Amino acid sequence: MAHAHTVKRYSGLMDWLTTVDHKKIGILYLLAGGFFFLVGGLEALLIRIQLIQPLNGFVDGQTFNELITMHGTTMIFLAAMPLIFAFMNAVVPLQIGARDVAFPFLNAVGFWTFFFGGLIVNVGWLYGGNPDAGWTNYAPLSTGFSGIGADYYAIGLQIAGIGTLVGGINFLVTIINMRAPGMTYMRMPMFTWTVFVTSFIILFAFPALAVGLVLISFDRLFDANFFNVAGGGNPVLWEHIFWIFGHPEVYILILPAFGIISEILPTFAKKRIFGYSSMIFATVLIAFLGFMVWVHHMFTVGLGPLGNALFSVSTMLIAVPTGIKIFNWIFTFWGGRIEFTTANLYALAFVPTFVMGGVTGVMLASPAADFQYHDSYFVVAHFHYVIVGGIVLGLFGGAHYWWPKMFGRKLSESLGKVTFVLFYTGFQLTFFVQHLLGLWGMPRRVYTYLPGQGWDNLNLVSTIGAFFMTAGTIVLLINIVLTTMKPKDQPADPWDGRTLEWTIPSPPQEYNFKQLPLVKSLDPLWEAKMKGEEVPAAEPLGPIHMPSPSILPFTMSVGLFIAGLGIMYANHDFVNQSVEKFFHSMIPVYAGLAIILISMFLRSVIDDHGYHIEVEELQKEV
Amino acid sequence: MSSHDHHGGALPAHPETATLEGKNKVLGFWLFLGGETVLFGTLFATFIALRNQVLDGKSGEELFSLAIVAAATILLLTSSLFSVLAVQAMNRQDVKGIQFWLAITVLFGAGFLGLEIYEFVHYVHEGHTIAANAFGSSFYALVGFHGAHVAFGLLWITLLIIQLSKKGLTTVTAPKVYVASLYWHFIDVVWVFIFTVVYLMGKVG
Amino acid sequence: MANHEQVQSSERIKRGPAHEGPRNHFIAFGISMALTLLAFVAVATPEFGNTFKVGFIIILALIQAFVQLAFWMHMKDRGHIFPIVGLATGFFVFLTALFMAVKLLWW
Repeated sequence: MAHAHTVKRYSGLMDWLTTVDHKKIGILYLLAGGFFFLVGGLEALLIRIQLIQPLNGFVDGQTFNELITMHGTTMIFLAAMPLIFAFMNAVVPLQIGARDVAFPFLNAVGFWTFFFGGLIVNVGWLYGGNPDAGWTNYAPLSTGFSGIGADYYAIGLQIAGIGTLVGGINFLVTIINMRAPGMTYMRMPMFTWTVFVTSFIILFAFPALAVGLVLISFDRLFDANFFNVAGGGNPVLWEHIFWIFGHPEVYILILPAFGIISEILPTFAKKRIFGYSSMIFATVLIAFLGFMVWVHHMFTVGLGPLGNALFSVSTMLIAVPTGIKIFNWIFTFWGGRIEFTTANLYALAFVPTFVMGGVTGVMLASPAADFQYHDSYFVVAHFHYVIVGGIVLGLFGGAHYWWPKMFGRKLSESLGKVTFVLFYTGFQLTFFVQHLLGLWGMPRRVYTYLPGQGWDNLNLVSTIGAFFMTAGTIVLLINIVLTTMKPKDQPADPWDGRTLEWTIPSPPQEYNFKQLPLVKSLDPLWEAKMKGEEVPAAEPLGPIHMPSPSILPFTMSVGLFIAGLGIMYANHDFVNQSVEKFFHSMIPVYAGLAIILISMFLRSVIDDHGYHIEVEELQKEV
Repeated sequence: MSSHDHHGGALPAHPETATLEGKNKVLGFWLFLGGETVLFGTLFATFIALRNQVLDGKSGEELFSLAIVAAATILLLTSSLFSVLAVQAMNRQDVKGIQFWLAITVLFGAGFLGLEIYEFVHYVHEGHTIAANAFGSSFYALVGFHGAHVAFGLLWITLLIIQLSKKGLTTVTAPKVYVASLYWHFIDVVWVFIFTVVYLMGKVG
Repeated sequence: MANHEQVQSSERIKRGPAHEGPRNHFIAFGISMALTLLAFVAVATPEFGNTFKVGFIIILALIQAFVQLAFWMHMKDRGHIFPIVGLATGFFVFLTALFMAVKLLWW
């Protein structure tokens, strides 16, 4: 039954541009997300340097606005999201015992659209005029008063958002249709569960953002009146649409971090996760409630007592499932044989830090109190406790945990602990004092402040903390470089793990599983090890069908990139005459669209037969 | 499991979901339609929020012609039925039948799109543009997005008809036919809400 | 229709019911057409009050959407749990946005 198709296999750069292998795409996401993480971190450092003392002149107000906007936008959309997608790609198919994702080609499309969208958001660093209306891009500031930066934001995120949506659908179908025999929903690892739920949130939240960004673009490029009061529009509409997307986005980010923690803790406590089914219940409940709380970002808009009270209650409700999770984690390491590996340090630090962010969240959920906290550094402290203390700690922990599986090399444990101490100390120094700054009245998003208001010392402390975090990140980079120079010597199961990804070599072969595993319980590897067996195979050895590599995802995204830049510059004046003739027209837009349509056409008419890895080849690779 | 085990031989009863690839495609497309529901839902919410903001422009009550809307509705609704008949032909493994019904689907869809373009041109002459007022902005955003979906669907289904004559009905082309018909039905369902919320409610005032 | 079971495949295929033929689809078309006609006629009838008209045509639209989803898009058939979950959740998010547009935006 196996037809041998000859297929062109690339090497070097072309291999990375054409790959449809989820493990390689995971590494691409890790590289690109890591790069944007460094860019966003640098922006944060510049912000903190400006605020180190009152009336500082390190950057001017406009640059400061661009820095805070780009810091927020980059960290949320271009660093945290792709880093989560990196682990989704690298781990989920392995955890459910699948050879691939459901749509390998679309997976590559997702990565490249994210990457080129991210480039558009950042193109202002080269040509000037960055987004400067805050990461929330509120109208009418963004529609009536921002320069071309707001176009970079709207078009860039639009393109990156396509990639995210495609990725979400891909993982939903992968998890629904491609689980190994015996892997029921109630036997899926927690990380897979959280990715499953997160993908649902992506599916239902990102279209709202897409519409919002289209409306912003129409207002800016075609003089539409969605948010223009003089034309009958309503700027608050943008706030609603943005937060209808924006609050679920918070859970898109944090749920996979919860999942990573729920993998690390059981492994290093040598105990099964406590309250597995209540964990799933809590995850689904958080996702559901997440769509009904967006107004808590807008209490001070003045929607009246009914609206505010309703959304205040729904917000506080979220504390219940989150509390369930916190207690489950505590009971997981309660009485366990805890190993203090670097990954586990991040996981253990995550729990109390996230509780702090959650508690200030409940404080903010009370409208009466929120009128005091709103737009102060208290809010900045709150969401950095959730995002850095939650998501970033989770991602760093996940990186240390899955690095051997992704690369076949283990990150240095001692350097890892140095990073942890520097980063965690720096984090607390930077953000704990911001609670106090906020309570003492310091507003957020101001580029400087007057002396003598009692804010000087704490701002200095906060900036010192930022330098600690920077030092920690630099040590992590050194760690990564040193590790990359070491040989690939890691065994399949370096951490004495519990789930299926640890049953196959590190890094896995391109087909992941020679024979699909037969799953009989949660934690199948641990179960097998306890019985002194191996995880049984569900099928005899046979030829494995693989999808062919393709350059089309890359060309499609390049087409989107060109069309996106073109539509922004179509209304733009240029000094150079010949440049003017080309760019001040719709030519680039049509050229970009043509590239996209031709790529889609080729994808549709050329059947991808893929190729087979034959049994002899599989046996050779033992 | 491979996508071409059934070449040459008889197709299974449900060729669209006979392979894992086909099953993935159909499920993935359904989930995509869930996302599309939110996309159109947000556009509907925007329209409902802004539909009375006409300023000194013309309102829907003055602009809309129910005759044209009714004609467009009948065209799209009927084309949706024809795409059902295309899937019925697929169940009989009748390639010519699929092509025939899909071609008529495209024909009626093009008629719908033509009416819509005629309507838009007429409105622009009446001063009802995207920049005129918030009602105009939200009207063109919602109805235009739907029209763009129709236009994309026409291109897609046309390409499918050509592919069917080149490749015939296989376990690779069958999911494409099924999914395209789902897409076309979905567009029709969205139109049901557009003619109700935009045009009929606009007429009611 | 009867040769269903002859198809052997290594894959476990969840089989839907036998193909139902075009009859139900024509009925669905008839219902859709009737509902559409009813909506247009209701709006064109000056005797009805505006509140009644709006409520009535929205209900007609919901019924028509339901009929088309169930029959033309086969959502009534087996194995459509995730399509139902997908569209229902999408519709739920739309309802929250509608609540925003109607109740919260202009206050």
